[in-house]
Amino acid sequence: MKKILLVFVAGMFLLTGCETVSPALYSWYDSEDATYQYTKRTTDQTLANAMAQYEMVVKNQKAARKVVPPGINAEYGYLLCKSGRQEEGLTLLREEMRLYPESEKFISRIVKQLEK
Amino acid sequence: MKKYLFILMAVATLCSCGSTSQMTLDTQYPKMYEEKPTSIVIMPPINQTNSVEAKDYFYTTLHAPLCEKGYYVYSPMLTMEMFQHESAYDAEPFLEGSLSQFRDVLGADAAMFTIIKTWSRNNIGGTITANVEYRLRSTKTGETLYQREGHITVDKSVYTGSSSKGLLGALLDVAATAVSTAATDKVVAGRKCTAIVLQDMPEGPYGTLYDKDQKNAAGAPIVKKTVQ
Repeated sequence: MKKILLVFVAGMFLLTGCETVSPALYSWYDSEDATYQYTKRTTDQTLANAMAQYEMVVKNQKAARKVVPPGINAEYGYLLCKSGRQEEGLTLLREEMRLYPESEKFISRIVKQLEK
Repeated sequence: MKKYLFILMAVATLCSCGSTSQMTLDTQYPKMYEEKPTSIVIMPPINQTNSVEAKDYFYTTLHAPLCEKGYYVYSPMLTMEMFQHESAYDAEPFLEGSLSQFRDVLGADAAMFTIIKTWSRNNIGGTITANVEYRLRSTKTGETLYQREGHITVDKSVYTGSSSKGLLGALLDVAATAVSTAATDKVVAGRKCTAIVLQDMPEGPYGTLYDKDQKNAAGAPIVKKTVQ
């Protein structure tokens, strides 16, 4: 039994080799591809897909930090404002500033523009 | 039992990372540790290829990998709107110039420039290639904090083994390779390139290795790889 265990451990060393890979900080789901497709061809369908993915990312963070990744609350909030869901959108933009104070300078300008 | 432990130790030593002569992150990128940037704005890629779409497509792929490195990264969708309004859609003038305006307007500590040198597809050979240079510059001092280049080829070729059955088999493989390559978006190579190149970028404040990765091995300044 011990023999098997040792072989297994040695095998793991071999497999993992030199790269130290940190665990993912955030859960992205398909948001990267959805925003890419939306950039590539802006249609109602690609926008709807991107919005659905943003919602997943905002609501279901299961990776190491358990926090919404930088920029996502802002992007999703901005798109919500553009599609007429102003209050919901502004709440997310403010959430971006709360989670990431370094974003305040930029995001507060956008909030001001949208509030006009 | 001792024998196995010895073998285990030997294997672990053989696998342990690199030789002592290899550069560490703090010797290769000392300014990253001096300046400790927190927030990064992604500049519109500088496109040196004939592929007009490379710039906009590649731009969308940089955000997540940089976030995963532990930095605050401004939303590319929102900064791109700003760049277009402020006529900064072309990043060339900023590559060597002052970046203080990005500090003033955004609060960004650093700007990530990318220079796309190759963005191509070869259907017959079954390959998609992206050659990109990454350069992170401080908005405070203008100095280059991190710089690395990737020459990444994605191999989409198909070998069914039918080529051993003669010319027809070989032709079928060529056709299958062309179909599989043509169906693959070129952005796939761009994504791989970013993932591979940024592997040795020191981590930012939200990363698990922040301020702990100084002695990790740095990679070669130009990384060349073929991946599946």
